[in-house]
Amino acid sequence: MLRTFVGSCVGLVLHNRHHRAAGLAHVMLPSSNGRGSPPGKYADTAVAETLRLVREAVGEPTLSVTAKLVGGAAMFAFQSGLPIGEQNVLAIEKILLDFGIPITGRLCGGRHGRRLTVDVVTGVVTVETAGQGTEILA
Amino acid sequence: MTPGNGRLAALFHRGADDASLALAKWLGRPAALLVQRLDTLPIEEAAAIMGSSEALICGCAMRIDGAIGDLLLLASDDDAGLSLADTLLERPAGTSTGWGDLERSAVIETANIVGCAYLNAICAALGPAGAAGILPSPPVFLRDFPEAVMGAVLMEQPVLSEIVLLARTEFRIDGTPITCSLVFLPDAAGLAALMPSAVDPGAGT
Repeated sequence: MLRTFVGSCVGLVLHNRHHRAAGLAHVMLPSSNGRGSPPGKYADTAVAETLRLVREAVGEPTLSVTAKLVGGAAMFAFQSGLPIGEQNVLAIEKILLDFGIPITGRLCGGRHGRRLTVDVVTGVVTVETAGQGTEILA
Repeated sequence: MTPGNGRLAALFHRGADDASLALAKWLGRPAALLVQRLDTLPIEEAAAIMGSSEALICGCAMRIDGAIGDLLLLASDDDAGLSLADTLLERPAGTSTGWGDLERSAVIETANIVGCAYLNAICAALGPAGAAGILPSPPVFLRDFPEAVMGAVLMEQPVLSEIVLLARTEFRIDGTPITCSLVFLPDAAGLAALMPSAVDPGAGT
């Protein structure tokens, strides 16, 4: 099991069902602006790095994966403009599209944080939203 | 208090002193805020400072514009928050069992009074660098996972700053400690005013 908490951050899950392998990145910002470390922190580096690690773990350099996204909430009512959470989601979606990775589940936006648990074997993501109950991304 | 910048510690103690006076005046009872710890942390480490417990925390957040922005958060676990609400509303301990409008209003007003006094004192102590003062937003109430709250708070920081400054402060009302944390995150200009060495590569760490 992999687990993290996200508010405006986004949990990016990459999974390959056949090999029962998954990776989870906790993306905090949409762009690294050239910094890139740690790579999982930024949308523009997290997708490539998570994919690399999953492929490395399986030992297949061309392994295909599917993606699930959780988080990207706008937790504060005083936020103006495009909230950072939504920026994170949009940035990740664009990069996944560039990589040709399909998104098979998403639970994004809203005003509350979420706890997500990833079953590495099945790829099922269990999402508990603070004070709102639990949902399953199968 | 963690080792480090003595000037910074003095500024935050002054803020806590003024906030104590404001809170005591508002409540009509002895009240004090005690700065327990000051940390300058990389953003990813700071996200875990409120703990990773599965229990929800409650709190109030205020956006701060002006000389030292950027965001102030008053947070605690649920029990401490409800105890604070009972104290503020002059109810017997244990009366508040959930977050209704009255309980939320009490802690929101406390965050407003304490936060403004705290930051106004820091601005005044900064001299010319703090002359612009602060312009706070109305506090917003939240109840959520600790890591989610801190992650969202830290994401309010300008992307330019990789360092955050967290001042954790305990409340004591009528001598009874109520474990709340007052977390202040200055913006880049505020960090430069408060702690020049943190943003000036030539000045070391």
